[in-house]
Amino acid sequence: MSGAAFARGYNALKEQIDAPIAAFLSSCVHCGMCAEACLFFTETGDPQYTPIRKVEPLRRVWEQEYTFWGKLSKALGLSKPLTDQDLTDWETLVYDSCTLCGRCSMVCPVGNDIAYMIRKTREGMAAAGHAPEGLIGATQRAITIGSPMGVKLPALQAQIRHTEKEFDLKIPVDVEGTDYLCMLSSMEIMNFPEYIGSIARIFKQADVSWTLSSEAFEATNSGIQIGVSDIAAQLVQRIVDAAEKLKVKAVISPECGHAYMAIRWEGPNLVGKRFGFKVVHILEVLDELRAQGRLKVADRETRKLTYHDPCQIGRRGGVLEQPRNLINMVAENFVEMPEAGKMNWCCGAGGGVSTNERADALRLKTFARKKSQLDAVNPDALVSACSNCRIHLEEGLEEYHMDIPLLSLTETIADHLSDT
Amino acid sequence: MKKDQTIGEVLRERGISRRSFLKFCASTASLMALPPSMIPVIAATLEKARRPSVIWLSFQECTGCTESITRSDSSTLEDLIFNVISLDYHHTLQACAGHFAEHIREQVIKDNAGKYILIVDGSIPVKDGGVYSTIAGMSNEQILKETAAHAAAIVAVGTCSAYGGIPKADPNPTGAVSVSDLIKDKPIVNVPGCPPIPNVITGVLVQFLTFGLPELDALGRPKAFYGQSIHDRCYRRPFYDKGLFADSFDDEGARKGWCLYKLGCKGPTTYNACATEKWNFGTSFPIQAGHPCLGCSEPDFWDAGSFYSALSTPTENIGKTAIYATAGGLLAGAAIGGVLRARKQAAVKAHQRVTIDDLDKES
Repeated sequence: MSGAAFARGYNALKEQIDAPIAAFLSSCVHCGMCAEACLFFTETGDPQYTPIRKVEPLRRVWEQEYTFWGKLSKALGLSKPLTDQDLTDWETLVYDSCTLCGRCSMVCPVGNDIAYMIRKTREGMAAAGHAPEGLIGATQRAITIGSPMGVKLPALQAQIRHTEKEFDLKIPVDVEGTDYLCMLSSMEIMNFPEYIGSIARIFKQADVSWTLSSEAFEATNSGIQIGVSDIAAQLVQRIVDAAEKLKVKAVISPECGHAYMAIRWEGPNLVGKRFGFKVVHILEVLDELRAQGRLKVADRETRKLTYHDPCQIGRRGGVLEQPRNLINMVAENFVEMPEAGKMNWCCGAGGGVSTNERADALRLKTFARKKSQLDAVNPDALVSACSNCRIHLEEGLEEYHMDIPLLSLTETIADHLSDT
Repeated sequence: MKKDQTIGEVLRERGISRRSFLKFCASTASLMALPPSMIPVIAATLEKARRPSVIWLSFQECTGCTESITRSDSSTLEDLIFNVISLDYHHTLQACAGHFAEHIREQVIKDNAGKYILIVDGSIPVKDGGVYSTIAGMSNEQILKETAAHAAAIVAVGTCSAYGGIPKADPNPTGAVSVSDLIKDKPIVNVPGCPPIPNVITGVLVQFLTFGLPELDALGRPKAFYGQSIHDRCYRRPFYDKGLFADSFDDEGARKGWCLYKLGCKGPTTYNACATEKWNFGTSFPIQAGHPCLGCSEPDFWDAGSFYSALSTPTENIGKTAIYATAGGLLAGAAIGGVLRARKQAAVKAHQRVTIDDLDKES
């Protein structure tokens, strides 16, 4: 089985190599600048975590299959062909020590998108059966149950009922022809149900036409994290089907980093067609409402707040100004951490790392970087817009004995709205 | 004019400020591409130098060289340098004539034997006993040999005296030759050009007075002024490098000031200071005025084919060659690309849909 699986993985790597990758690999100047940009290198000092090194299996396939000298040296026995053992050796590098945060891609002097290449390398790893157990489980649950955390519709319905009662409002489900279809992440349904109440309250005040879907409420995409486009496409298709069925104008990605990237950037490429609706992040919607004067603030937060940019929303997604506009609307004392914004350091748990228990110790070790960022401004509370960041940040703060509460940006807005 | 005065004494006597004098020394130093540290050296040497006697002989020439130097457009100091070299004999400039003039020449040779400088412009006709140009009953060759015999050094000003010039042009009816063809036992500095740049003539003289005989190239020219080709210092050079040429005097390229190579510019084979020193107080030079360089400071420039034929054209049809080469490259690239693409397509075809059941290695 393993032999067949390896052949399939090898073929997947061959298949993934496109013009950008060929250009990237041939233009790498081996400067090593990406190492200094990577959380896993800076916090461990271990050179094996140099980002470009993590794509070595992909590089070797490119060299041996698509370049003259690579083919020649392979034919002459000067370079060894890729083996299953190589993939085993690279497993932890490709999955445990990369959050696909894309910081390395920003510093590369020749413009190589290394995060893009690691995403592609995972296609080969997963097809060859080298994905980590935690991610395999989550992916299987996403397909069979509908959510990586195993959340089913009744759980959501219970949260909806609970929220409707608490705030005395109606949460629209499966309403056709609304402006927005609101997506959620399992994490929000199970750990932070306040998010559902928050958007319901905000949209009520701003008079936004929206709905949830009982058929597709899960926005996260394990297929992208594990690196299987076939599965990722299947998960995106669910959302596309629901959006088309409900005839909405736009789909709102929740407070989750990779979900936004999955639907907005990879989505149309995965399903192979242009969407008939727009995809926006919740922060983009809220900032637009703010700009239109549709959000009325009752009181402003006096605590010193700072904002953690989730990588896929900020650096990879470009949603950088909106969260700042929104925080300044509801807070009097907003401070920026060093390197905030485009070059913010990853929480350390993105890209499927949080789902991979094998990486737990490494993940918490890298939190030292976030700690030093926080120590520089010493905030009263930390705001973010990604449930995955939030869970991990809470864990990290606890590990490092730091007493800083975590806030969701959407919830913070909702909490400061006037009732009328 | 007192004979034994130093140049410094003469300058002071004539009310030339030291400041103007140093400015002249500085511009001369920069003209010769010397470091600023050499300015005081030039000044000190010039100030102390005894005004050497100079005999200027004109043979088969058009007086263009004299025109050039008398219209010296820089500061009037250059004229003064001529005053401070004691110019004792010069057909065009001297006041006296006839026997009296010749007497002065003989007197200078006698009084300054071995110390005076001889400047020559014009070529020397040697055919038929030199009858084609005579002065006071003597052939040019006789006068030259007589005067050169006791000179300290000879400066051949202009292409005619340096290389024969236009009088020597085919079929050379007068058997014109250059100074160096006749005089073999004296240091000769060639200052070619038709005419030479005024500042270059004076610059060579200053260099000679300050540092002695200058370093010369293979054609006897001072390297300080003739060390680089017009082409290498031409402001239109970037167009040449980009392959942008004027094809006629009235086309788009000519109006845009592109390279004149195809119109016959001899800049690449001509060594002179025109492109940097320029003419008429640094105003312009032929190429800047839109005309190709004729190569007038090179030997036999008049016989080097038409002024308007390009020096050489690489291949008969460079456009076609380039197209074939590009097409060949594209084909090869496309072929290699096609092979690689097929390889990738094979991989895409071999793709087996990955389902959740394939993720576990054990399953």
